[in-house]
Parts: sequence; C-alpha cells; structure tokens
Amino acid sequence: MSTAVARASVARRQRAAGRATRIGRVAMWAVLLAALGVSLAPGLYMISLSFMDNPQLFAGRLVPWPPHAENYPRAWVASNIGQLYWNSIYVSTASMVATVAISALAGYGLGRIRFAGRGLVYGIVLVGLTIPLQIALIPLFMNLRVLGLLNTRLALIGPYTAFGLAFGTYIMKGFFQGLPRELEEAARLDGAGELGIFARVMLPLTRPALATVAIFVFLQNWNEFLFALTFITEGKMRTLPTGIYALLSSEFYGNYPILAASLVLFSVPVLVLYFVFQREFVEGLTAGALKH
Amino acid sequence: MSPAARRRWRSNLAGYAFAGPALVVLAAFLLYPIAYSVSLSLHEWDGYTPHWGPFVGFENYRALAGDEVFWRATWNSILFVVVRTPLEVGFGFLLALLLNRRLALRPLLRTLFFVPVVMSLIVVTIIFQRVFEPNTGLLNTFLRAVGLGDWAHPWLGDPATALPAVIAVSVWKNVGFSLVILLAGLQGLPQDVVEAARVDGANAWQLTLRVITPLMRPILALTALLSIIGGLKVFDLVFIMTRGGPTYSTEVLATMLYREAFELNHMGIASAVAVILVALVLSIARLQTFVLDESPEGGQA
Repeated sequence: MSTAVARASVARRQRAAGRATRIGRVAMWAVLLAALGVSLAPGLYMISLSFMDNPQLFAGRLVPWPPHAENYPRAWVASNIGQLYWNSIYVSTASMVATVAISALAGYGLGRIRFAGRGLVYGIVLVGLTIPLQIALIPLFMNLRVLGLLNTRLALIGPYTAFGLAFGTYIMKGFFQGLPRELEEAARLDGAGELGIFARVMLPLTRPALATVAIFVFLQNWNEFLFALTFITEGKMRTLPTGIYALLSSEFYGNYPILAASLVLFSVPVLVLYFVFQREFVEGLTAGALKH
Repeated sequence: MSPAARRRWRSNLAGYAFAGPALVVLAAFLLYPIAYSVSLSLHEWDGYTPHWGPFVGFENYRALAGDEVFWRATWNSILFVVVRTPLEVGFGFLLALLLNRRLALRPLLRTLFFVPVVMSLIVVTIIFQRVFEPNTGLLNTFLRAVGLGDWAHPWLGDPATALPAVIAVSVWKNVGFSLVILLAGLQGLPQDVVEAARVDGANAWQLTLRVITPLMRPILALTALLSIIGGLKVFDLVFIMTRGGPTYSTEVLATMLYREAFELNHMGIASAVAVILVALVLSIARLQTFVLDESPEGGQA
C-alpha cells in the first residue's frame, strides 16, 4: 500500500519534471528561433529588396512579386562592379599572401627560437593586436602622398599586410609552440639547418593555422573601409566597400533595389568563403580569444 | 668565442632572421605612425604645406578640452561601449547556454548566428538605413502593421534616437561573435564539476547560476573586454549610417578624427584625437590582464 503511494508520488514527480522540461524545451526553441529570425531578417530583407522595383519598395512590400531580376545587370553596370571585384580580389589576396608568409616566419621565430629581445618583439605584436588602427591613418596618408602612391593598389596592400600581421603572428606563434620538440630534434640530428626544419618539418604541420590566418585576414581585407576610403579617391582603383559607398552619393542615391543588388553581389563571395571555411574561421577567433 | 656564446649568437641571428620581416613591417606601419601622430599632435598643420606648421606644445589638446564636440564624441564613445557591451555579452551568453547541449541543429544554428559577424559593415549599414527609414522602412512598416503606429519614428533623423539605433545595429552585428567565444568556453569547462553538481541534484537553473556562470567568469570578462575595445574603435558603422549626425548626436572619437583630418584639415587636432583614442584603448587593454589576474581561475593569464 505504502509502496504503491510512494510509486505514485514518484510517477507524479516524474510527470511534473517531464512537463517542466517540455515547457523548458518549448521556451528554449522559442528564444532560439526568435533570435535566429532577428539575426537573419536584415539579410533576407536585402535579398528581397534586390528583386523589387521602386513602386514595390514604396508600397512597403516584403515579398518582391513579381521579381525584378534586371536589378542585377543594372547594379553590375552602375557600380562598374567587375572592376571593383578585380581590385578587391587583387588587394585582398596580395596582402593575405604577404601576411601569411611573414607571420609564419615570425610565428616560428617567436614560438621556437630563444633570442635576445624576443619578449619585446612579441610585445609589439600584442600592441598591434589591440591598438586602434586609426592612429596610422594620417601618417600613412601623408607618406603615401609624398611617395605618389595614393590611388594605387600598393597603397592598400602595404597597410593591409601590416594590419593582419599581429593576428597572424599571434596565431602562428601559438601553433608552433604547441608542436612537439622531438620532431625538431630528430631533424636536427639528421643535419637539417634552422631553415630546413622550418620549411620541411614544421611548416607542413601548421596547415590548419595557416588556413585560419589566411581566411581571417582575407575577409578583414575584403571588408576594410576606412583606409580604402581615404587612400583611394579615384573610381578606377576603388575596392568593393568604397565603390558601393560611392553609389550612395551618385544618381543611384536612394535607389535601394539597385543598391541592394550591389550589396548582394558584394556579399556572395564573403558568405561562400565563410560557409566553406567556417571551421577555420571560428577556430581562429576562439583560439585568438581563449588562448590568452 | 666560447661555444656557448657562439650558440647564443647563432640563435639570436636565427631569431631575428625569422622575426625580422614582421618587425620591419610592424615598425613601418605601426610604430612609425604612432611616433608620427604623437609628434604631429604637438604641431599645427593644415596638411597642404610641404612641412608641418609651428610646434604648439599641448595647444591642440587644450583646444580639444575646450571643444564641446570633443566631449560629445568622448561621451558618445563611452556610452556606445557601456550600452553595447552588456547587451552583446548578455545575449551572447544566453544563446551560448541554450546551444550548449546536444542539439541536432547546433552546428547549423551556430553558423547562422555568426552570419552577421562576417557581413561587411557597408552592407549592414545600408540595409539598416533602409530598415530605419521613416516612411516605408521595415521597422515602421512593421510597427504600423501590428497597431503600434504611434511608435513609428524617424529613428536616424532624431538626435534622441540616432545613437540608440546605431548601438542596436552594433549589438545585432556582434552578438554572434560573443556567442561563438562563449560557446567554446562552455565546451571547455571541466565536465566533472558540472556533472558532480548535476548528480547532487542541482536543477538546470541552479547549475547555470551557481556552477557554470562562476566558472565562466574569466571568459565572460575577456569577451566583455574584446567588445569594449572593439566598441571604442567603431568607425564604419557610424560614418556610413549617420556621419556622426544629426547635430553630433552620434559623433564618436574615430569619426571626429576623420572629420578633423579630412574635412576640416586640422591635422594636429586630428592627431591629438588619435593619440587620445589609442591611450584610452591601451589603458583598457591593460585592464584585461588586471581583471584576469583578479579572478580566482585566471591566475595563469
């Protein structure tokens, strides 16, 4: 009798607990889906805008029906987007390659070689990681002007290489430090020099870190706005962000369907890169933040 | 030379051979500009004459101290950070806690929540200009549709709501960043401690408040500091969205720097603003080590 009561009470408690978890699960999904809606809605709105014409826009429509795909060829022509793509790809890739190469070398030096002044060099890297880059805006502008390099691709490749370098060196140093000593010693016994150890033994092992740095600095370069705005004032050399920004003060001002189509064209490579390389990207971010 | 000295010399040489290129680039694009800016901030210059104008000592800083716009920009920068960081870290932590369990869709959700972080600010700002547009914008249209038409408002055109609107966009863009870091932190927590508390009969609520949150304190502090530093540097978002207006209501230090330099040709004053911004960020970054040392778990930092 008493065991039956006890069993019933246990069952009741379990049912109550089950109900509580069910309510909890519903609440959890409600919060998650609401947050997901908020974070995706603006991007979807952009895509939707890019298929509208102006009457649909001014009617406050959300769904572009019938869709106006002709915005895309018009946006392509209006912002001369082919040229912008080429400039952005050129500048972002060149500085990415330079950053990756230089930070792999520096990461190896700082991570595996004991040398006088290593702490100071690493200190400079850490300062580079936190300092607002705006401090370099006026000095670099003035020097590029004196050198006659404003409105050239080099005016962006140099700074972008440097701006990615602190992050790249930081990640590469951490990774090199984590590699086992035995590898190096074995190679040294085989008579390999420092450069041979770096190039043939260590570097191939750092492929994930190299990928992280590459994808991270590429996206950073691709999206950079302030320096591109200041150093490139002629249309022909502009990169995508400032090229699209220039649309805002052109005849297309307020023409949101054309603007939105340009924005979609601009975002597609970024999003594709992100979805393909998200593991490297997210790992880079979390490693950068949590390894402190 | 003794063998030990030769070995030391060789490893110094190797060290600088490897770190040298980075050192040269950082010196040219970081150290030299810092020195240049500090020095220029003590001079007067319109940026056009081939040489800097006269040395004026701290006159540029004194001029800033008497400039209402500078105080406005400083206050806005601080307000930006003070409002943005708790929201960003708070929402990020909430979502990270919700995602920190065996969910079939977790990788997909994490990926989607992170999309705003990788989107370019020019894209984000132009979309949100459209969202905040008073007549046919998404937000006002939505408010009218659900019967809250009285709340419809020229969000970016009114000095009272422009800064909150800009901050909201910034939070929207960066929550995913906090989320990803905090989720990685949660997954790195010692599972035996969490499991032991669960066995002791702690419910989900107690587990979160009493066990997980204290363990997460160093990572929460770090996320907050990253958000603060990022917030002080904000430029693109404000510049594209409002250009610091209306009537300086969204002016921050970075947009003031740009305006002084490239619209008003006050290179000395602009450099002084840059130096102040750097000093502000570096002193807060110093706090990072301080905060982490203070927390009981962060002793090794």
